[in-house]
Amino acid sequence: MALSTTPELQPLQQQQSSIRTLPRKRPHRLSVTSWVFMAPIAVVFVALYVIPMSQSLYYSFTDFDGYVSNPEFVGFDNYTELFKDPSMLSALGYTIFYAVSTTILVTVTAIPLALTLNRKFFGRNLVRSAFFFPAVPSVAILGLVWGFILNPLGSGVLNSIIRSLTGLGPIPWLSDSTLAQLSTVAVTIWALTGWHAVLYLAYLQAIPADYYEVSKIDGATSWQSFRYITLPLLIPAMAVSQLLLMTNGLKVFDLPFTLTRGGPGFSTRTLTQSLIEDGIAQSRVGAASALAVLFLIVVGLVVLGQMALSNALQRKYS
Amino acid sequence: MFHHTNSPQRRRKTSLRLTVLGAVVAAAAALTGCGSSGGSGSDNTVSFYSWDNEASMKPILDEFKKQNPSVDLKVSYGTPVQGYISTLQTRINSGTAADVFIITAENKTEIMEGGFAKDLSGEPWIGNIADAAKATYTKDGKVYGAATSSWGGGILYNKDLLAKAGFTNPPETWDDFLALCKKLKDAGITPFYEPADTIPVSLAALVGLQNQASGGTMDADIWAGKTSFAKTWTEPLKDWSELFKQDLVSPSVAGLTGDQITSEFQRGSVAMISTGSWALGSIQKAAPDMKLEFMPVPGDSGTYWAGAVSPGYAVNAKAKNPDAAEKLVEFLQSKTAVELYQKQNAAITTTKDFTPQLDPALSSMVPAVRDGNFYLPQVTWPTNSAALNSETVSLLQQLIQGQTTPEKVASALDAKLASLQGK
Repeated sequence: MALSTTPELQPLQQQQSSIRTLPRKRPHRLSVTSWVFMAPIAVVFVALYVIPMSQSLYYSFTDFDGYVSNPEFVGFDNYTELFKDPSMLSALGYTIFYAVSTTILVTVTAIPLALTLNRKFFGRNLVRSAFFFPAVPSVAILGLVWGFILNPLGSGVLNSIIRSLTGLGPIPWLSDSTLAQLSTVAVTIWALTGWHAVLYLAYLQAIPADYYEVSKIDGATSWQSFRYITLPLLIPAMAVSQLLLMTNGLKVFDLPFTLTRGGPGFSTRTLTQSLIEDGIAQSRVGAASALAVLFLIVVGLVVLGQMALSNALQRKYS
Repeated sequence: MFHHTNSPQRRRKTSLRLTVLGAVVAAAAALTGCGSSGGSGSDNTVSFYSWDNEASMKPILDEFKKQNPSVDLKVSYGTPVQGYISTLQTRINSGTAADVFIITAENKTEIMEGGFAKDLSGEPWIGNIADAAKATYTKDGKVYGAATSSWGGGILYNKDLLAKAGFTNPPETWDDFLALCKKLKDAGITPFYEPADTIPVSLAALVGLQNQASGGTMDADIWAGKTSFAKTWTEPLKDWSELFKQDLVSPSVAGLTGDQITSEFQRGSVAMISTGSWALGSIQKAAPDMKLEFMPVPGDSGTYWAGAVSPGYAVNAKAKNPDAAEKLVEFLQSKTAVELYQKQNAAITTTKDFTPQLDPALSSMVPAVRDGNFYLPQVTWPTNSAALNSETVSLLQQLIQGQTTPEKVASALDAKLASLQGK
């Protein structure tokens, strides 16, 4: 293949292999300065993460209701209850659907958008800012605004436009289970694509223009340039972007809640909403803690799987 | 390479490490100290965690300060419902709850069973509290909260729009109500909206009629296993679901909030909505020319109101200043305070020594509300009301969409209760 023999790519590969063969430095003891810098974050980490997580693990084996200071030990009851609760299973299903679909759809929209924004055209900075803008306001505000736009009654903004253009009756955007699920995903894509496109843009700008010039001389088509230069060099960006999308998707609460409050029915109820409602509003801290522990394990496994996949892809293309 | 010996550098490093360690320990101790300290300072300080906002409570609390100049009142304001409940829960758990706080439907079981509030049944003023209010916050003969008002919920209608459909008298049966909705629909008027982000007022009143027929012990009997949701809720659910089966109400309400529905009503886009007495003031402000009135929800065995006793004032069982705390609660239920509160919030107050002057639109509701003739499931459920409330709302949203049936909703509630009771 023409591109694989491109002389300019050779030094990069040599460089990478030479990096790999450098002798490893011996791990050394952390200096005092390192400790000084790490101490505050270590205190915060222990106080705000390790202690609460340990407490959650303990509460998950008790019937703690948030009030009584000496809860009773109930073994794995809270964990077995989780799998019997249809609302919890529904929340699990929707959360996975939301996380996976937003990760895939934001990625496939953000990369082409980044490629477009990387070209030179009149008003480019303005367009870049416009696409980045949805990432600026609070998600709760976005939810309220989109709730107004997607109001399922005839007076809703989108329904008014559709009626004036086509004469069609009101579409129950947030009142129908399936449409509500799709609406929450659509609003998320709208809100996140710009931000992730800017991330890809930063990586795109780091790709030397020489690669594209050489590929052009070698007769590569636009698709080949994208497939064999752009895409492999965007793998690290994809790893970062998808990790953020997947973790945020799995722990999402604010956007679906402000749009639909988890409804209709259980259709857009997320695991985090279940955690908050069970633990705080319904005084079932034990059950909510069991869900939190299970959730932590699932998120950990998903993230590890995703990182393994990203590393495998990186190895394949580098 | 540097060799680790007892060199001056090594000693300086050790010394610095100890300093850093000391600073970390000191910071941790300071943090812990912040958490465990608190207290109300001087003996004359009483703390109050308010449910109502500052604008509502300021005139009342100013009057208390005027009458009790020696008491230093420390007030903090919560955000009902969830924000208030969670903050109170955390403060009770850490022993830093205010001397006077609010007991309400969402936390009454935990507060009463946990012994976190003082028994007020021996207070000389307790006879001034309405019987329904006392009963709401009573367990084993002990009264844990002093509620001074109640609210009622029914069908609020736009008189002009109903007149267009030939409305003369409020419907007396559920079938009459469905017929009125049909008449309005045929006249090109959207008949009725009801928010589905909470248990609907009309359904609550229909279930209330069942409760009334069983002598007011329906929920206690369900919890005791003598009856079930399937036996008591299925008929009201069937009646209520006719609104959607007969296409009289848009299934879009499954995704609407009370605020959205209220704004549709204010615009004159719908003839009737179900709401509570608390909404009247804001609707009148937004639509000052609209002629309004409440009507009760008609069922098969009469008419009934939804509604509940408002949150009550409770004295912390571990109050740092119990005398001043009791003094504050005594003042909050007094004629002076209730009159000020009523003026500020247009509430249907229920204390025996003060009769409120209320808006004529509420005239049909006030006697029933002051007598405690209303029903709201989530307030009457003996335990797990928040969990069951959330489950019911989701199931009803499914019923509206035709994804389930009244029978299945009632059975699902039985299953949820059994699960919550660990059966």
